[in-house]
Amino acid sequence: MSFIAMVLKMSEGLGRTCAIFFLTLLFSLPLGMCIALLRMSKNRVIAGVTRFVISVLRGTPLMLQLLAVTYGPYYLFGFNVSRNKLIPVVIAFAINYAAYFAEIYRGGIESISKGQYEAAEVLGYTRLQTFMRIILPQVMKRIMPSVTNEVVTLVKDTSMAFTVSYQEMFTIGKQIANSQTSFLPFVVAGVFYFVFNAIVDYVMGRIEKRLDYYD
Amino acid sequence: MNGNKNAPIFALNNIRKSFADVPVLEDISLSVEQGNVVSIIGPSGSGKSTLLRCGTFLETADGGDILYDGEYAMKDGVYVDKAALRKFRSRFGLVFQNFKLFPHYSVLKNIAEPPMLQGVSREEAEDRAMGLLRKMGLEGREKAYPSQLSGGQQQRVAIARALAMNPEILFFDEPTSALDPELTGEVLKVIRQLADEHMTMVVVTHEMPFAKAVSNRVIFMAGGVIVEQGDPISVFENPQEERTRQFLRVFEH
Repeated sequence: MSFIAMVLKMSEGLGRTCAIFFLTLLFSLPLGMCIALLRMSKNRVIAGVTRFVISVLRGTPLMLQLLAVTYGPYYLFGFNVSRNKLIPVVIAFAINYAAYFAEIYRGGIESISKGQYEAAEVLGYTRLQTFMRIILPQVMKRIMPSVTNEVVTLVKDTSMAFTVSYQEMFTIGKQIANSQTSFLPFVVAGVFYFVFNAIVDYVMGRIEKRLDYYD
Repeated sequence: MNGNKNAPIFALNNIRKSFADVPVLEDISLSVEQGNVVSIIGPSGSGKSTLLRCGTFLETADGGDILYDGEYAMKDGVYVDKAALRKFRSRFGLVFQNFKLFPHYSVLKNIAEPPMLQGVSREEAEDRAMGLLRKMGLEGREKAYPSQLSGGQQQRVAIARALAMNPEILFFDEPTSALDPELTGEVLKVIRQLADEHMTMVVVTHEMPFAKAVSNRVIFMAGGVIVEQGDPISVFENPQEERTRQFLRVFEH
C-alpha cells in the first residue's frame, strides 16, 4: 500500500471523526449547562445525585463508558448492538464531556459576584433575564480558556472510538498499521490531529477575542 | 399605582431582623415624606445597610411592616406575593456602595436596558439615558464600558441607571465609601442636585457635612436601634443622647 493510498484511506474516516467531534459539542455544551444547574440546585437531593453522577462520569475511563453505552444494552436487555455505531459513540462522548463542561460552567457561574444578581433584582430583572442577560455573558468570557482546553482534548479523544470499532480516521489507521505492520499510519494520524487542533485553536482564539470586548 | 395621597412615600414599622439569632435590627420605625431627604448615620455594624436592604427586599425582615405610598409590601412580617413584590420594586431605586454596574454592557445599555425590559421603547429608553448622562456630567461617555471609567463616574452611571426607572424614592447605601475624597465630591454634588430637585431620598452615609447640608432629617443608628432622629441642626449641634455625642465627637477635628 502506497503512502498516498494510506493517507486517502484514512481521510475517508475523517468525516466520521468530525461527526463525533461536532455532534459531541452540539449535545454536550447545552447538556453540561443543565447538569451544572442541577448540581447547583438548592434541593439537596438533586444536587447530591448530580454530584455523584458527575463524579462517576469523570472518575471512570471514557473508554469504559463507550463500551458500556455500545454493548451494555445487549448484555443487560438483549437489545441488538446498534448498526450505526455513531449513535452510541456520540451518546457516550456527549454525556462524558457534559460532565466536564458542567463543572466548568459551575465554576464560572459561582465566580460572578452576588452583587450582579442584586443589582439586576432591584432593576426589575426576572430570574431568567438575570441569568441570560447578566450572568451568562460574563460566565462565557471567563470560561473560554477552560472550554478551549476541553475542545482540544475532544479532538484527540475521538480516537477512542476505535474501542467499539467505529470506522473513524484512527480506527482505520490502526487497521492499516496492523495489516501492513507499519508505524506510518500512526504518524499520519498524529499529523491529522495536529492540523485539526491548529484549526480549533484558531477558531477558539477568534471567539475568545470577540468575547473580550470589556474588562 | 397611586396610593394614599397623604401617606409617606416609604415607611417602616417595627422592623426586626436577626442573622443567626444575632439581632441586627430591633424595632425600627421610620417614614419618608415626598420630596424629603433622610440621612442615616451611625457606626459600622449598626444595621444601617441592613435596614436599606430590608426596605429594598434584598434581605427578608423577620417582622414588622414595609409600606410604599401607604400600601403594604410586608405586613406583620408577611410579604405580599412575588408578583406584587415585583411591582413594589419599580417604585424605588437603589445605589450601591460598589456601583454594581454590568461590566459587559456599555454605559448606555446599563441605563437603557432595565426600562426596556419593562416595556419602554428602545428610542425612549435611550433618549432618557442620554438625558440622564448629560445631567450626571457624563456626556459623550455612553459608549464606554464601566471598567474604562473612574469610580466616581461609575457611581454617577449607577445613579443614572436607578433614575432611568423613574423611581418615587431613591436609596443610597454608602454611595461614596468606595471612592477617594476627590471622587467623593463629584458624586455628592450629583446627589445634592437631586435634593434640590426634591427627589425623595434615603442616604446611608459617613459624610457628615453632606448629611447636615442636604437632609431634612437625620437618623442616628447604633446597635440595631434608632438612637436619635431629628432635623440636622438638632442632631448635629444639639444631640440629646450620649451615644450620639460620642459618635459625632469622632468627626470633630
